[in-house]
Amino acid sequence: MAVKISIKQQQLAAVLQSSLLVQAPQQSGIVHNGFRGDGRKPGRRKWRLRKRGTYREHDDRVGGGFPFRKKKGRGPFRGKMYSEGSHKSRNRGSGGPNPRSRFEDDDGDVTMNDHESPRSRFTPYGARPSRRLDSWHDRDGGPSSIQVTVKQNSERNASANARRSWFKITIPFGKKYDKSWLLSNMHNMCSVPFTPVQFHYDGNKAVFYVEDSTAANALKQISRRIVDKDLYRVAIIISSSVPPSSVSNELKSEEIEHIKQCMSKRYDGSQQALDLNSIRSDPDLVSQNIEVVLNRRSSMNAVIKIIEENIPELLSLNLGNNRLYRLDDLADLITKAPSLKILNLSRNELKSERDLDKIKGFKLEELWLDGNPLCDSFRDQATYVSAVREKFPKLLRLDGHELPPPISFDVETPTTLPSCKASYFGTDEIKVLVSRFIQQYYSVYDSTDRQGLLDAYHDTACCSLSIPFSPQNPARSSLGEYFKESRNVRRLKDPTLRAKLLKHTRLNVVAFLNELPKTQHDIASFVVDVSTQTNTLLCFTVHGVFKEVDSKSRESVRAFSRVFIAVPAGNAGLCIVNDQLFIRNATTEEIRKAFVTPAPTPSSSPVPTLTAPQQEMLQAFSQQSGMNIEWSQKCLQDNEWDFNQAAQIFTQLKAEGKIPEIAFVKQL
Amino acid sequence: MAGSLDFKTHADQACRAADEFVNIYYDTMDKRRRVLTKLYLDTANLVWNGNAISGHQALAEFFEMLPSSEFQVNMLDCQPVHEQATQGQTTVLVVTCGTVKFEGNKQQYFNQNFLLTAQVAPQNTVWKIASDCFRFQDWAS
Repeated sequence: MAVKISIKQQQLAAVLQSSLLVQAPQQSGIVHNGFRGDGRKPGRRKWRLRKRGTYREHDDRVGGGFPFRKKKGRGPFRGKMYSEGSHKSRNRGSGGPNPRSRFEDDDGDVTMNDHESPRSRFTPYGARPSRRLDSWHDRDGGPSSIQVTVKQNSERNASANARRSWFKITIPFGKKYDKSWLLSNMHNMCSVPFTPVQFHYDGNKAVFYVEDSTAANALKQISRRIVDKDLYRVAIIISSSVPPSSVSNELKSEEIEHIKQCMSKRYDGSQQALDLNSIRSDPDLVSQNIEVVLNRRSSMNAVIKIIEENIPELLSLNLGNNRLYRLDDLADLITKAPSLKILNLSRNELKSERDLDKIKGFKLEELWLDGNPLCDSFRDQATYVSAVREKFPKLLRLDGHELPPPISFDVETPTTLPSCKASYFGTDEIKVLVSRFIQQYYSVYDSTDRQGLLDAYHDTACCSLSIPFSPQNPARSSLGEYFKESRNVRRLKDPTLRAKLLKHTRLNVVAFLNELPKTQHDIASFVVDVSTQTNTLLCFTVHGVFKEVDSKSRESVRAFSRVFIAVPAGNAGLCIVNDQLFIRNATTEEIRKAFVTPAPTPSSSPVPTLTAPQQEMLQAFSQQSGMNIEWSQKCLQDNEWDFNQAAQIFTQLKAEGKIPEIAFVKQL
Repeated sequence: MAGSLDFKTHADQACRAADEFVNIYYDTMDKRRRVLTKLYLDTANLVWNGNAISGHQALAEFFEMLPSSEFQVNMLDCQPVHEQATQGQTTVLVVTCGTVKFEGNKQQYFNQNFLLTAQVAPQNTVWKIASDCFRFQDWAS
């Protein structure tokens, strides 16, 4: 038997009251400003009112988690909370907002890097050989007779190691040699180009690292083949190694925050262009003693992460003058900034066109490579262009020169996805019905006792819960408390268990829900899709975040997706017959965005009691404005129940087209 | 008691339908997209990241413009849909989640749910999708 969810009138009023909260993002001074006619500056004076449970209008969260994107659309009224600028920031070249402000919004919220370990400093460039010295030893006139001694165990290590493993190169008694003499001899002798990292003297030894097993093997071959002026044969010992400290150093979170601000200063939102040219000498970073050395993996990773989280729409990136000698780390950006079309690598230390293989995945239209050693390795310009085009077939410009148009055929496969939109309700009528249901449902669900949900379910309703499958021991994951109830029939083959985890009948369903952790849902986060509507069935999915309010440790924020199938119940209500709840951990971004406006619990908010004259005025206002009761009340309240002033503001806002349609939808 | 047994039978049947459906659906999606709409009812609805698409023709056009895909499902749940909602027509709610990589885009998590109905004909019974609801998710790893 179907029973309409019946929340007492008072309770409902409380729910509505709390759901009509006025957004007060910055100061309390602008609370209740929604319908006011005072002369605040444009953009502030408008609708500041957000109806909780009015869902996000443009959900740009595709693959989401990008602060910039999320700020764009948080529902019809919410957009106004942010400055006009940040609203239209991304796509158009309209001068855009100061990108910095967007970065700064994130202040104090970086969770990117929790490493607090002290960071030792290095001067890696001290270790880098100068290319100009490559032919140095010829002039030195050192003897050139050579022999080899290699530690046998290192040979196996070297070949067994993966491409990205590190090798420590030790030259016993290397202390007596000048670094440039030593390295240039090794460069000349070695059959494979190599990049020494963190060259230093350790006691009598000279030590550096290479990150390339081929180079390490080749270096092994030249042991005892370099002869010094005392006719001593220089031994070279190779051993596999952990990454040298100069590349493995992690940046601290406050350093990353500074880098982020520095990057925001260097980001041109109108062009979606990030200029990191010579970033290590940026005064803002130097003054903070922060070394952003992009040929270190830690620095490059930090930069890539900031891009991924803030400006994944990046079109143009300038990495000129950063002494990059390899592009392995940059390759990670390919998936993080898939739209990148323009890449400037001018004046770096890239030696071989093979380096470009690492970043072939970028669909580049414009590339700058001038000022890299690799440019000199080609016979002529045509060979150079051809080699680069081989890697980037769609390239239109190289080093500022237009290239012949790329070869293309008209069978390009689509790569553009339809844009992600906000909640889909189908009709306003359904929107009102479903929104109201969700508000009522979750106000009971979030209360101390979920028994009240009995009224929302059909006698023979069923319900199940699932969590993501994690290959690690799921019982130990933070979703452990849900694990034993998780019904993933992909993994779970036992019919008895399958049946047990599907809760059937109203009493079982509510008893089950009542056992789940106590929650508070962020209704403002909800995105709702109504996928099917017939005379007898309404199927809708709710996505959103909630927090567990009784967990022993800190509050855990979770995200959920929940499918409800409902049948009509009396008095335009709904009665749930199927309920499938999926719970996962919220992302950092979701956590950051969750409960931006603290929602008072319905029980603690005062019950709005209107005096008889107010009731009367409300009816009249609703009748004359055409707005529904909620919105009429809001408008009157914002204007201290001054009917004429409220009417004036209403007329003005309506003329400006600033009142959403929902305000005119009369409740069923 | 009989009702409860009956429910178990339905639940079991739902699982079998869901199991088979998921394999066929995502395989067709990834490898034989052209025939994907055959899995849908003529009147089927799709809500794809908030975009509503309805009917065979529109679905075919939609799927054609969607970049090629690689789906991986790692969670599947299903329930028999209540008969009162379907007027007695056997229907199953199928819920999936997993990852998808659309060509030219980065891999994303998704959540999807379907209503499958059994179309009973004299010779055979064919299951079709009556409703499909898809959204990208942004998961914590």
